[in-house]
Amino acid sequence: MQRPLLQHASFAILLTTLASILAACSGAANSPPPAPVERTVVVERTVVVAQTVEVPREVVVTPTAAPQAADAKIVLRVGTGDSGEGLTPHLTIIEQFEKENPDIQVQLEPVGSGDYYARILTQIAAGDPPDILQIGDDAVPNFVSKGAFVDLAPFIASNENPLDTGIYLPGVLEPGQWEGKQYLLPKDFSPLAVYYNKKLFDQYKIPYPTDGWTWDDFLQTAQALTKDTNGDGKTDVWGVQLPGPWTTGFEYWVAAAGGRLISEDGTTFTGYLDSPETATAVQFYADLYHKYKVAPPPADLNAFGGGNSEFDSGKAALRLFGRWPQSGLKTNPNIDLGVVGPPVGAKRANVLFWGGFGISAISKHQDAAWRFLRYYVGAQGAEVWKDWALPTVKSVAEASGQASDPIEGVWIGELNHLAPRAYVSTPYWGATADPALRKVLEQVIIDPNTDVAAALKTAAADAQAAMADQQ
Amino acid sequence: MPHLSASRREALNFYLCISPWLAGLLIFVLGPMLVSLGISFTRWDLLSPPRFVGLRNYERMLGDPLFWQSLKVTAIYTMLYVPTELVGGLALALLMNQRVPGIAVFRTIFYLPSVISGVAFVVVWMWIFHPEAGLLNLALAQVGIDGPRWLTDPHTALSALWMMSLWGLGRAAVIYLAGLKGVPKELHEAAIIDGANAWQAFRHVTIPLITPTIFFNLVLSLIATFQTFTSAFVATNGGPLDSTLFFVLYLYRQAFERFSMGYAAALAWVLLLIILALTLLVVRSSDRWVYYEGARR
Repeated sequence: MQRPLLQHASFAILLTTLASILAACSGAANSPPPAPVERTVVVERTVVVAQTVEVPREVVVTPTAAPQAADAKIVLRVGTGDSGEGLTPHLTIIEQFEKENPDIQVQLEPVGSGDYYARILTQIAAGDPPDILQIGDDAVPNFVSKGAFVDLAPFIASNENPLDTGIYLPGVLEPGQWEGKQYLLPKDFSPLAVYYNKKLFDQYKIPYPTDGWTWDDFLQTAQALTKDTNGDGKTDVWGVQLPGPWTTGFEYWVAAAGGRLISEDGTTFTGYLDSPETATAVQFYADLYHKYKVAPPPADLNAFGGGNSEFDSGKAALRLFGRWPQSGLKTNPNIDLGVVGPPVGAKRANVLFWGGFGISAISKHQDAAWRFLRYYVGAQGAEVWKDWALPTVKSVAEASGQASDPIEGVWIGELNHLAPRAYVSTPYWGATADPALRKVLEQVIIDPNTDVAAALKTAAADAQAAMADQQ
Repeated sequence: MPHLSASRREALNFYLCISPWLAGLLIFVLGPMLVSLGISFTRWDLLSPPRFVGLRNYERMLGDPLFWQSLKVTAIYTMLYVPTELVGGLALALLMNQRVPGIAVFRTIFYLPSVISGVAFVVVWMWIFHPEAGLLNLALAQVGIDGPRWLTDPHTALSALWMMSLWGLGRAAVIYLAGLKGVPKELHEAAIIDGANAWQAFRHVTIPLITPTIFFNLVLSLIATFQTFTSAFVATNGGPLDSTLFFVLYLYRQAFERFSMGYAAALAWVLLLIILALTLLVVRSSDRWVYYEGARR
């Protein structure tokens, strides 16, 4: 009696075990496991599933599984770091394109949050990236110099499907270039500008800022609008909300002071990152916080733009930033919005933030990918993008009235004052000088007594050492 | 089916039953670990093929100030957190061990934070620590204290993360509670009859009997603390001025922001060795202070 019972028991255990194997297998598909090695495969599945849910009209077929019939559709995969609402323009363009090109099916593979680059890098390492990839400005040199994208010149000049690159607004093609060749084409862009709240200007009878204003005008305006309204010794209305230790935004200040952060050949930081011009920029920025006390201290150093909410709540008169939050600011009841270009220092300058698309060097459908890319970034695509961001195509910006709009026209006009960003001449900016500069900015924001020149000297030396490590 | 002896059959059953775990271990843990050891001797950015560089990644750590900074931050935090978890967790367990009506509800309440996902928990605390609008500083202002800027001040950021982590004490407390439940009442009563006061009974009867639980918690806590990541990643991203740059956060940054896979893998192996050494140290010392009933040496 005992023995069969034991056998039953172990059989039951075995069954349970098998069940748990099955459970584990199905569970793995739903939750991203910790080990990065297997992540590629599993995340891929998750995203495709999510994709099916979001876009039920698309039948998701992986390229390898597609039947090899003569009339089979070519399936193109598009990788993007956009998410949520931001996917709508992509899907709208894809829908239009598929209608006009019945032989091609386009499958959008969005990866939200900060995981996008890690995801496409693992896909490239595994030999299976999307055919078309979206990349942000400062990632271009790294991806392109390592051969991840194809040179678009032959496609642009092709007889069948040429692209007239003259259609674009000034300055929006360059971020997609590396060593003089075009690898990516523009999706959207934003320079910097200064938002201002007319309500506060009217209340304190201060004239609105005008195009071409200077750092002095900027400071005086900010000082005039910094108020302690209840006399408790604490500032209640701030002159300007600054974007904290945000390094890429800070490049504007350096360029406007007449400096640059890296040598033109992309190798040297000493003499640039620690130049007197850079020091002037850092000092002025720090003084806005500490000496003139016209800027609220960052609420969250880690958040994009410093995490402050003073401008949103009608408690700051000016805000230096990109165009990203503009639609929210326009409808914000605390704000009567105006936009003006950033103030002029020793020079007039601005910096560009940019996203674009390229074709993977190991894509098996490069010709089809080009047909879609040309549409995506061309006039037809721009007609859709224009409702979500600034259009890159000049005729679209003009026809929509955006180029002459009192607010949108400012952003577009700023394209005429662009200074080159620091990353354009090196794939290593993010690993070398960016963290060093960030540390300086955190230092001056936290500690009013920072010796700016000394801090920059250390930063330049650190960046240079990190650069030597990269070679 | 060939005739198997009972012991062979039992062994076969054993391996069959643990095979899912074994397969998981081989495929998802040991396999990747071996690969990562290999990667640690290379330079690899995922885009170009890995290049063998010998021990260069390990040499690089010696001259990398952020490596030392991350080690320092992690060590300080471990020295702050592990003792608090041992003492605080035990204190909480003693409270949870009281025989009062509704104690089960209190136990649940104290354990509840451990169930909440790390990120949600950290985001809530970020609101509490907000320098202007946060609950903590608003409360301090009520009693006339101008609160610090917590997460945006390098002097207070690590302490803020430590305070945040105390919310998770319930996890350790529940294990202590299990240990306390295992202490025979008779021994405690005997000590009291022999004239010991409550403290003496606790110190000389309860504590020795729960040393195995303390040992277990110490080892777990040490390993987990060295791997601290979520709170720093979400709340401070290592800042300000690298004051909360935990080792694993630095490792993550090298791997998934800088894409220096080789260096990141080397960092992971150094972390493994550090944790291994510390754990061995604790295990070795346990002979001196951990008391197992019926296991005299």
